[in-house]
Amino acid sequence: MPPVRLADFDDDACLIYGIGNVGRQDDGLGWAFIDWLEAQGRCPNAQLQRNYQLLLEDAELISTKERVLFIDATKDETVTSFTWARAAPKIDFTFTSHAISIPAIMATCEQCFERVPEVHVLAIRGFEFELEMGLTPGAQSNLNDATADLLSGSIGCIPVGHESKECR
Amino acid sequence: MSRKLVIDPVTRIEGHGKVTVHLDDDGNVLDARLHVVEFRGYEKFVQGHPFWEAPMLMQRICGICFVSHHLGGAKVLDDMIGVGAGSGTGVTVTAEKIRRLGHYAQMLQSHVTAYFYLVVPEMMLGMDAAPEQRNLLGLIQADPELMRRVIMLRKWGQEVIKTVFGKRMHGISSVPGGVDKNVSVAERDRLLNGEEGLPSISEVIDYAQDGLRLFHEFHAKNRSQVDGFANVPVLSMSLADAEGNVDYYHGALRIVDEDKKVVREFDYHDYLDHFSEAVELWSYMKFPFLKDLGRDRGSVRVGPLARMNVTKSLSTPLAQEALERFHAYTDGAPNNMTLHTNWARAIEVLHAAELIEELLRDPDLQKQDLVVTAAPEAWVGEGVGVVEAPRGTLLHHYRASAEGDITFANLIVATTQNNQILNRTVRSVAEDYLVGHGEITEAMMNAIEVGIRAFDPCLSCATHAFGQMPLIVTVLDSAGNVLNERVR
Repeated sequence: MPPVRLADFDDDACLIYGIGNVGRQDDGLGWAFIDWLEAQGRCPNAQLQRNYQLLLEDAELISTKERVLFIDATKDETVTSFTWARAAPKIDFTFTSHAISIPAIMATCEQCFERVPEVHVLAIRGFEFELEMGLTPGAQSNLNDATADLLSGSIGCIPVGHESKECR
Repeated sequence: MSRKLVIDPVTRIEGHGKVTVHLDDDGNVLDARLHVVEFRGYEKFVQGHPFWEAPMLMQRICGICFVSHHLGGAKVLDDMIGVGAGSGTGVTVTAEKIRRLGHYAQMLQSHVTAYFYLVVPEMMLGMDAAPEQRNLLGLIQADPELMRRVIMLRKWGQEVIKTVFGKRMHGISSVPGGVDKNVSVAERDRLLNGEEGLPSISEVIDYAQDGLRLFHEFHAKNRSQVDGFANVPVLSMSLADAEGNVDYYHGALRIVDEDKKVVREFDYHDYLDHFSEAVELWSYMKFPFLKDLGRDRGSVRVGPLARMNVTKSLSTPLAQEALERFHAYTDGAPNNMTLHTNWARAIEVLHAAELIEELLRDPDLQKQDLVVTAAPEAWVGEGVGVVEAPRGTLLHHYRASAEGDITFANLIVATTQNNQILNRTVRSVAEDYLVGHGEITEAMMNAIEVGIRAFDPCLSCATHAFGQMPLIVTVLDSAGNVLNERVR
């Protein structure tokens, strides 16, 4: 597994997209990662984006990029801290207007815009998703793990086809 | 022994609903009910907040038609500070045009969502197609170029919203007495001319006609099914201007009957003089009706089909041409064919696109006179705001204390206005599709959903399901025993 380098995303052809809702505790992990990037001044050339959920129009957005990183919270109990995986296009029919999967966005991009970027998914384990601001200590710790490992270059990227199902 | 069919939840509508169809021993429909069990507490928890917060808070009801709630609330605030439509003052020309621009953009993007994302899969892939195919992603596989155009159309609508409100969802533009910014020349030119990844206005108007093309193709092949599906006569209501033409932002409330005779036309500030609301134990949603006509005769339809029934003409050339074809189809009589709501919706997509172009070419959008500042003694402390939201007539009514804190709020949303006709539609479909069929088929269940979906109802404005929600049909006898059940 080749190591993941954050610098690979520091380009205007890259998109770093945090998914979640900061008003629902650990659902804000995706945005918190973007906050960390901004606070650290990292990836200044990439397009940074925060959104509550993926929308079908994001298929058009990623069609304009070469490399995309999605960051989202995961409730998967088998994930102890975080996972990093490559995603592949797939029409998975789990689509609702409040939840469209990353593979479905990629498949829409491929079908409608005839190209698809390289897509990575960082899924960070969260624990509480109630109406409250702020991450739980456990989620903050997992975010810290992810950012520290990313900086040290110790994250091995899971190849396409082995993406974790727990990534929302 | 009577039987009851339960369809819960209803898929691909804005929110969760439950349908029960009550049958007698012979399979005849005794009753049909759309149960709305979500509780919306906005009228209560807005109380105590400063009045100027209301349009910001109220728009959070919905992630789809937030602009309508924002503008409905803004019109109330204009009233409250004494510069409302009835005050003789009114907001500035630029402020009203900027509000209209945002409103038409939302009409466009909301209708595109409802029509292409929720309805077209059925039209193109068939009502009987398997659920895993009969959805948006199935449509993307079937016609990727169409969906590319739809995605770009919706994106453009969102960009207009973002230009006016600052962001694509739950932004802020309106303030008491006006708006907080105009539209710059650069913003205008970007929307008119497009850029990489954003269509130009001419492309938008081309894409906006896809809906009509699709409807007419589908209609030509399925005329009897479309025309015969839930034809339910009812009064039609819309905001209209002095000439009797629909005005999505402002006007009098005009109600026409089955002969297009105007049975009521009144200032919406007087709505309490005309409307009453019934309640049922099985639904949180009320049933508004005209007091003097009673609930049976006095319930109204709102939304695209009602607006096309009320209006005499449309103000833009392509939309007017489409309206003439629409009116000619029924020889000028009101159209009560439920699935023609989608025809009306497609006309409004085009009308909205043309209206936006007109406004973008209007130099008033660049003017600086944005807010009317009212004198303290002009404070009224109460107001009513009505707009034509994509789903139909939307009413906000607030009162505030002398200190400016809200003490009362009442909302009548479009889906509430349509409640009675929604239930009649469910019954009509049930009578046509369920009676005499021993087996509860997927297509039969979906027919009820199609009838509901034509209204694009927003039941809780919270949850949006497109085809993968579990669907359960249960047949119960009068004692509550399960006779039959189907799950998908």
